[in-house]
Amino acid sequence: MGVKIDALKCVGCMACEMACGYHRDDGFAFLSACIVAYRGREKKDYFGVLLKEEENLVVARPEGLEVKRIGAVEESGGEKKQEDASAKPMLLREPCDLCEQMPYGPMCEKFCPVNAITVE
Amino acid sequence: MEYLSSDKILIVDLTASRTSEDEVNGDLVAERIGGAGLAKSLYEKYESDDPIVLSTGQLTGTLYPASSLGIISARSPRTGKLCHTPFTLTAGIELKYAGFDYVVIKGTSSNPVYLWIHDGVADIADASELWGRDVWNTTDFWRKNLGDDLIQTLVIGPAGETGSDWAQVCLNYWTGGDRFGIGKAFGNKKLKGVALRGMGLLEIADPEGFVDRCLNLLTSLKNGAAAGKQGIGPVCAAMGHPEIQDWLASLVHRHKACYNTPYAANTFVYLDEDPTIRTEPKTDEPGLLITEPYSLIGMHRLGLSAEQACRLLRSCARYGIDPVAVAELSEKAGTKDPKAIEEGFATLSGTPTLPGSGVFSPCTPLQPVFGDFGISGDPSGFHGWWERRQAVAYIFGIDPLFALMSPEITEGNLLELTNVGAELELSQETLDAVIADLME
Amino acid sequence: MDVYRRYSAYNRLLARGTSLAARHTDRGLEVSPTAEPRAHLRRLTYPRIAVYAGTGTSHSWLWFVELCERMGFYDLCFPDEREVAGGTLRSVDVLLVSGGDTFAVAEALGPRGAQGLEQFIRRGGLYIGSCAGAYLPLRSSKTPLHHFNYVGARITNLTDSLPQPRRMSRKFSTAYGCRFVFHPVREEVRIRTAATAPLRAGRSITAPLYGGPGLTIGDDAEPLAFYEGFTPRTLFLVDEAIARDTLIDRVAALRARLGQGCLVLMGPHLEHPSFPEANGLVADLLFWACSRVEPLQNARESRDAPCLRAGAHTGLLRDLRRELSNSRIVAAGLETIPLHWVIGAKVYEPEKFRVFLDAMWKRVRHLERMGFTAADTGEAEEMIRIGPQVTRLLRRIKTSADCGEDTSAPARDVLTRLHVWSTRFLNTYFRTLSLARGHTRVAFKAQDTGAPGRALETRESLNVRSVV
Repeated sequence: MGVKIDALKCVGCMACEMACGYHRDDGFAFLSACIVAYRGREKKDYFGVLLKEEENLVVARPEGLEVKRIGAVEESGGEKKQEDASAKPMLLREPCDLCEQMPYGPMCEKFCPVNAITVE
Repeated sequence: MEYLSSDKILIVDLTASRTSEDEVNGDLVAERIGGAGLAKSLYEKYESDDPIVLSTGQLTGTLYPASSLGIISARSPRTGKLCHTPFTLTAGIELKYAGFDYVVIKGTSSNPVYLWIHDGVADIADASELWGRDVWNTTDFWRKNLGDDLIQTLVIGPAGETGSDWAQVCLNYWTGGDRFGIGKAFGNKKLKGVALRGMGLLEIADPEGFVDRCLNLLTSLKNGAAAGKQGIGPVCAAMGHPEIQDWLASLVHRHKACYNTPYAANTFVYLDEDPTIRTEPKTDEPGLLITEPYSLIGMHRLGLSAEQACRLLRSCARYGIDPVAVAELSEKAGTKDPKAIEEGFATLSGTPTLPGSGVFSPCTPLQPVFGDFGISGDPSGFHGWWERRQAVAYIFGIDPLFALMSPEITEGNLLELTNVGAELELSQETLDAVIADLME
Repeated sequence: MDVYRRYSAYNRLLARGTSLAARHTDRGLEVSPTAEPRAHLRRLTYPRIAVYAGTGTSHSWLWFVELCERMGFYDLCFPDEREVAGGTLRSVDVLLVSGGDTFAVAEALGPRGAQGLEQFIRRGGLYIGSCAGAYLPLRSSKTPLHHFNYVGARITNLTDSLPQPRRMSRKFSTAYGCRFVFHPVREEVRIRTAATAPLRAGRSITAPLYGGPGLTIGDDAEPLAFYEGFTPRTLFLVDEAIARDTLIDRVAALRARLGQGCLVLMGPHLEHPSFPEANGLVADLLFWACSRVEPLQNARESRDAPCLRAGAHTGLLRDLRRELSNSRIVAAGLETIPLHWVIGAKVYEPEKFRVFLDAMWKRVRHLERMGFTAADTGEAEEMIRIGPQVTRLLRRIKTSADCGEDTSAPARDVLTRLHVWSTRFLNTYFRTLSLARGHTRVAFKAQDTGAPGRALETRESLNVRSVV
């Protein structure tokens, strides 16, 4: 089971980010959220959603989904990848746990006003 | 104020080039609630210094649906009265998360300055390099030099610097809700703008109770009258201008919502890129974001094509001038050539209409939008209803356009959620009194 | 009682001169007040602790800092390799070495650092190493580890031929001479304590493993804990059968004597802040190793601590807060850009910048509440000077990344400066905390620098006692 994001339905409202932050911090904050509304290209109207999972970073772009392995680095030539099995976790943004301790289930799905997030 | 609040008021003295802080007084909150209600009290306290007050509502930045509102309260250069104008998208919440619920800007700087407000720190910084730059240039400069694309800005362009009565305080790159010429008030103070960024945390008195209620409300809103609609087009249609949507359609790229707002009321149009593309455009500035309906309606009335109109709107945004005033005054002057209109920004003259009582910015339709609020009759008679609805939005921090769409958002549940989340005991009587005071 | 409150209470009493004794029972470590020394009791002392933050360390030394703060161990310092080689360890009781790049740590310390380390332990010091800190002192002929041959334990995840990995295939192993160290699992494991003082035998607790060793020991060491099993959170990097064979019933933590001191080596990160029971083990071992049957005869010499108050204090914190905020904002923004840097043998991500910044940021507020800062003007100026440098470099990374330019050089620079900034800040922070809580052997020094707004405070007006 995992969180699925339809970036084309997304309206960039950040409700998912806030809901996840609430799950992490028990208050209203954005910094610990594992789902982030990517909104750094405002003039271009290019926005999507990033989701940190246990081993992957899911990048939901308007043109499609991209899944990157966390800790993986592409070297020149795009072939080699480095992953450090002894890397310590940062403890800043924990990976998505589907809000297993929350009564509602995944908060991002519940609070998305346009049903751009589903759990499958 | 322990909950749903940063508990801080920033006092900026531009004359002395100094900042200080005050606490948000619990008694004042009990009496004035928050947002425009409390901002008015701060305005009156510092009135001799001709202050501009930035404020947030009690619910701004929470999981309450549509809790995106920040407010600018100041004496309007156009009306001479205290007025309140909204700033939304994600700038409203950024103020609260930057560590201040309220900012009082008083006095006048001798040199151009800007405020950089970040995580409880307030810096008055030199803006002489920025004076003369347009709105887009300025926001780009701040984001690049301060190092973050997510910095939110309230910024004036040449219109504000040169004292135009129709100067707007713009939001990042876009014209917004300022119909009262507050941009001129900024310019008079030599204040180029305010850059905001914060990563704070708001405590909640009863987290589960608050969030539970928010979720219930959101569930009913998702099935409400606005469900299935998106963008500025349907809003114009609800105002009696269905032609706008088709007129604009070929330029529409995507729609965006303000923070946590269930309706995506902002429409981005592409002028220099194919609007159907989904990949990141190669052009750095392919179009603009339209954030309110009146400017579109006004430009359409001039007989311009959608592209001409939107290019003109983009020029208004860069110049930092109220596009509704530009459209209306150009129509009155009989000027319909976009180039001539743009060249005439600096010499625009006349008296554009300002509907409403002049307390809340008439940037939102003066009637219900989509939703059934149980009122009937000629929309021209809805002013009393509209003023109250805006007052409630401005006090609690709710998107003022969404407040017109959602009968599910009631005064009762706003009070209830504020009391649950902030551990207050606000009553309907208190709210009535605050509204009455705002409308004086 | 919450484990942190318990140890914090012990340390508060110790630091104020109350005499506490410890004994090992079948329930583990028991602490009680005592007026007089008795044969079977050991007097607890309030230790001075060095948390190693030199070249090659990752950010997990901040986990040791968190543990120490939660448990009231406030007498901390943060030496780097230069300071270790220069003799800083002469004035500490405990050295904590957490994770990172073992070879880089060893290289940076070099023979002089190794000598300083050995002298420290032989003189009676306690070395606690987790993960890379556990690998470092193990006997090895491999350069530069050969300088640190203190413990003869064998590494069970060291092999001539690597098993087939299930995940993280490209880098689940590290070269170790002509052999390889591989990581059979990551995340949570279960360990079982041994019947070794001061621990209670058979306690089953969880702790995270991020590359640390499994061990087998000879006569020169005693086991403290064994790997007992895995949990639903365990991430297997190899077949479970191989993981079991490599780790289960192997030593997860050991203690070895060296001269008058000892080393505690831990494969898992028992100092991880999300594992309070594991943290409790560390505190027990630390207290036990620092305790004495005979009370201390020679009080540690008191040190002078200058202090900033009023305008100088608020000015320092305002400037610190400003630059921390400026840096944090840029650092947080970088986290949404796909940036990685390979520095040495490790992969770094932008999130790492904020780990250091947040460690300082959350503590600035505490300093504000304390009303004074135990720093001299030189230290204050250094902390203020580094901040804008870090901010400028972070902004340069952002600008370069936006243009598609290489960002490795400024990233390396940022990490170096963040290490310096955070260690300077934490030195000041813990010194202030010690003074504010009365947890210290430090005395105030009244000194007027003559600079406006920079007057220092006298000991009497702050009403702080020295502990001798």
